[in-house]
Amino acid sequence: MKILRVLQEVDRRYLYAALLLAVMLPFLMDVKIPVPISAQTNKMYTAIEELPPNSFVLFGVDWSAGTRGENGAQTEVLMRHLMRHKVRFALLAFDPQSKELCQRIAQRLQTEYGYKEGVNWVNWGYRVSSNLEMYLKALAQDIPTAVGTDIHEVPVRTLPVMAGIQSAKDIALILDVTPSSTFQAYIQFVAQPYKIPMGIAPTAVMAPEAFTYLDSGQIVGMLAGLQGAIEYEQKLGVVGKATRASVSLSFAHLLIIGFIVLGNLAMLLERRQKSRLHEGDAQ
Amino acid sequence: MNEPGAFSVWLTQHTPSLMLWIGAICTLGLYSVLYKENKLYRLFEHIFLGLATGYMIAITWTDVLLPKWWTPLADKGQWWLIFAMIVGLTYYFIYSRRYNWIARLMIGFFLGVASGRYFQAFVNDTWPQIPASFKPVIPHGAVAAAAGSPAIKALTLPDAINNIIFMLILLCVMSYFFFSFDLKSPVLKGTAKLGRWMLMFSFGAIFGSTIMARLALLIDRVDYLLNDFGPELGGPTAGPRVMFAVLIALILLVLFLVSRSRKSEGDASVTEV
Repeated sequence: MKILRVLQEVDRRYLYAALLLAVMLPFLMDVKIPVPISAQTNKMYTAIEELPPNSFVLFGVDWSAGTRGENGAQTEVLMRHLMRHKVRFALLAFDPQSKELCQRIAQRLQTEYGYKEGVNWVNWGYRVSSNLEMYLKALAQDIPTAVGTDIHEVPVRTLPVMAGIQSAKDIALILDVTPSSTFQAYIQFVAQPYKIPMGIAPTAVMAPEAFTYLDSGQIVGMLAGLQGAIEYEQKLGVVGKATRASVSLSFAHLLIIGFIVLGNLAMLLERRQKSRLHEGDAQ
Repeated sequence: MNEPGAFSVWLTQHTPSLMLWIGAICTLGLYSVLYKENKLYRLFEHIFLGLATGYMIAITWTDVLLPKWWTPLADKGQWWLIFAMIVGLTYYFIYSRRYNWIARLMIGFFLGVASGRYFQAFVNDTWPQIPASFKPVIPHGAVAAAAGSPAIKALTLPDAINNIIFMLILLCVMSYFFFSFDLKSPVLKGTAKLGRWMLMFSFGAIFGSTIMARLALLIDRVDYLLNDFGPELGGPTAGPRVMFAVLIALILLVLFLVSRSRKSEGDASVTEV
């Protein structure tokens, strides 16, 4: 039948149009889809909740504009939790763009939670990623010397947020939002040697491989891609970028599954028709 | 004192608006590749690459080399930092036939450093995963901490089943990687085959996650166009709907162009026949 052939040879641009429509429509509709919260997201939430007030978190942010869709939402939701829980944190970027992108997020959120740069949080700025392991080793031994100044060129030793922070032993938790393997360097050179709990927020591409670290206890929690950020917003009870995107993500997934089923069904039916025709010819 | 020019005043006032327009135009320009490869897409691709590279070079100087190397060297008298530059420059001897041994010396030194570092990385990365793979498979109650031994959590039946599944998959996948000898035993052949299937499942999961990741990036851009740029185009309330209508019009235009090009391709093939 012609329809079976058409279904297998649909121009990819029609599919793109349908996908774009599926992503756009939920932004204008008031649809809510319940999101079950995964074990790894719950663990991350508990790890932050259990931090003593005013403890210090090293917040690695190693993403660029290219993965803002996932890592931006993850950074925002984790930062919200840190601010809500009243713990101090320091941003450290091994990507040049991340320093600026995360500074903007922190500045936007700080007014909401009564936080102040230099007092409750600090941006240590960008460090070269090709030297990441060596830098982390130096940082773990003497934080003020390794960091030097923050992004405003203020010596970090003089900042109230850094009071009592000398080495890795003073860090209560490490977080890393990343689209690459930077989190492994944190595990290898800071978290494991100094027995510091660590949570990660990788992109969805990285997440399946990162589960090994979760299972072995090398990380205490994980936000897997945008889905992780959506779950975390639910957990915090806030409606942010991730929650807005959740219905679009579900619609897009349903559409892709539908396309896959339709395409395969058409292929199987056509194959069956052809084999019947061959059998008829043979007889 | 010089008064700021009319253009600079206008620019200051309109910077947020300009940023939104540039962002929207770049997004649409880059997505135009979905219709077909075109010059507009190439232009924005090169702008993006150039910006990212230029920004990285500039920030490496302002955030790393200037405060960590140049200022201490030039202003604080830490003259020994000059050796960092000398060591760095020795890499360029690789281009000299006569003196490339100097570059090899430095490369050898840093290879040694990297190897030592990798050993520590391996120990802290992979070793903890080995004992974590030995999971209990028989359900038991909780055991209180005693002198010298920590408390043991209870293992419920569902957890034990999970652990059994984990152990089975682990052993099957490992048996798939026995390359040193020929797998003649039917048991080993079966487990290796099952291991291969399990690997396929995990690759499928990774591929599924990749699709989710790419969709997240698309959703972010759509969110930007509708909710950040939309209000700029049609006001704070109606803006997203106006932008939605614009995007629908663009989609319809693209679909019209696609159907026309397919029709003309069809006509051309009929004429050839």
